[in-house]
Amino acid sequence: MQIPAIEIDKLTITIAGQTIFSGLSLSLFPKQKTTLVGRSGCGKSTLLQSLLGFVAPKSGAIRIFGRELSSQSVWQLRTRMAYVAQEPEMGAGNVRDILARPFAFRNNLHLRRNMDRVPDLLQRLYLPGTLLDKDVSALSGGEKQRVALIAALLLEREILLLDEASSALDQSAKHAVIDLLRSNEALTVLSVSHDQEWIGFSDSHFDLCKAQQEAAA
Amino acid sequence: MTIIDISPWRLAAGYILLAIPLGIILWLRLPMLGQAISAIVRMTLQLLFVGFYLQFVFDLNNIWVTGAWVIIMIGVADVSIVRGCRLRMSRLGGGLFIALLAGTIVPLLIFVVVLQGKAGLNVQYVIPVCGMILGNCLRADIIGIRNFYESLRKNEKAYLLSLSQGASLKEALHPFVRDACQAALAPTVASIATIGLVSLPGMMTGVILGGGNPMTAIKYQIAIMIAIFTGTALTVILAIRLTSLKNFTTQGTLDRGFFEAG
Repeated sequence: MQIPAIEIDKLTITIAGQTIFSGLSLSLFPKQKTTLVGRSGCGKSTLLQSLLGFVAPKSGAIRIFGRELSSQSVWQLRTRMAYVAQEPEMGAGNVRDILARPFAFRNNLHLRRNMDRVPDLLQRLYLPGTLLDKDVSALSGGEKQRVALIAALLLEREILLLDEASSALDQSAKHAVIDLLRSNEALTVLSVSHDQEWIGFSDSHFDLCKAQQEAAA
Repeated sequence: MTIIDISPWRLAAGYILLAIPLGIILWLRLPMLGQAISAIVRMTLQLLFVGFYLQFVFDLNNIWVTGAWVIIMIGVADVSIVRGCRLRMSRLGGGLFIALLAGTIVPLLIFVVVLQGKAGLNVQYVIPVCGMILGNCLRADIIGIRNFYESLRKNEKAYLLSLSQGASLKEALHPFVRDACQAALAPTVASIATIGLVSLPGMMTGVILGGGNPMTAIKYQIAIMIAIFTGTALTVILAIRLTSLKNFTTQGTLDRGFFEAG
């Protein structure tokens, strides 16, 4: 039997005494592309953050490729995922430095040559090559999202977590992103989106609010 | 040449000079008369207390009593840094105490033992030199710690992005440590570069007032500047590293419990 890339088992998360969701279960198999939907506030972003170990669960378990996420394993498991935040904040510097920064980390040293792929990725996402010398603070919202996506893809992770990654993109840029992700068949994608076109691109969608109501019933 | 003592009566007469600043405050109706008078009274009482205590320490000239005084000074500095940064004592105090201790003792020992031999351990040298190094360590730690934690709180998303990209805790904190150290050391570097041009530095003034000649005074001043630079660099890096051990969760996220409310 195939091991799920992401397995969420009866997960309950509480922040400052408030339950964000409880008893949530969800499995994602390798290569699957799933979108989390549901109204704002039902915990979609929190769920992505809990997969990265940024939010500690109150109960339940998260398994990444069969390995349980714990305070020990999280450091290794993060090297199997890449994350793009809704409003990416990537620190200070020009785009080239921002893209190169993760390759200074010991875990990514072996991937340093992936920087060679940057010109191609920029082109595929309709970004000019001159963008590399631009300061990241001068980028528009849409440019920032695409740069953050390129940074994530360069890391060659097996799982990509996208939080509203198309929210600031125009039609053509959004299609370019969808085409790029679709062409990457091996990639498992868990995204959060309200965009119908984006939901259409994924193999399946999961309504977090509905799942909560059903669990409560 | 020895220093001329000031008799209590002559010092009391010196307070007459205060008529000038207080007169200006009254004339311009500055809303700080009470504050100014209270500051003068506090200064007098604090210095009287320290004077009596130091006289006692000087009379004994015992290395253990001197050491105890140094530890008390470091303890007071420790508490005032935590208060100055509005952080929780229980999370910060211990690491900071070690950082201040190392930042003060290492350059102090080099200063007194290497430069002056065993005689340098006399209370006459240890207390003033230690006070000068510690004062600078205190300022550097306040700037460094505040800069480090405030910047992390402000740029938490960028920090979390580094963690999500596979950085270790040390790697993800590196840019914040670097910026905080730079901010903390910048005033020391600036004061080294302008020393003697803008104002006569404290150590040099002390040696001249004590009857030393200017050439001896500048040698002391050069030595103390080296000691201060060494002490501040050491204390800041240790303060950040040692306090960060307690203020991050095992998953690497910033534990906000150590910020005081607000």
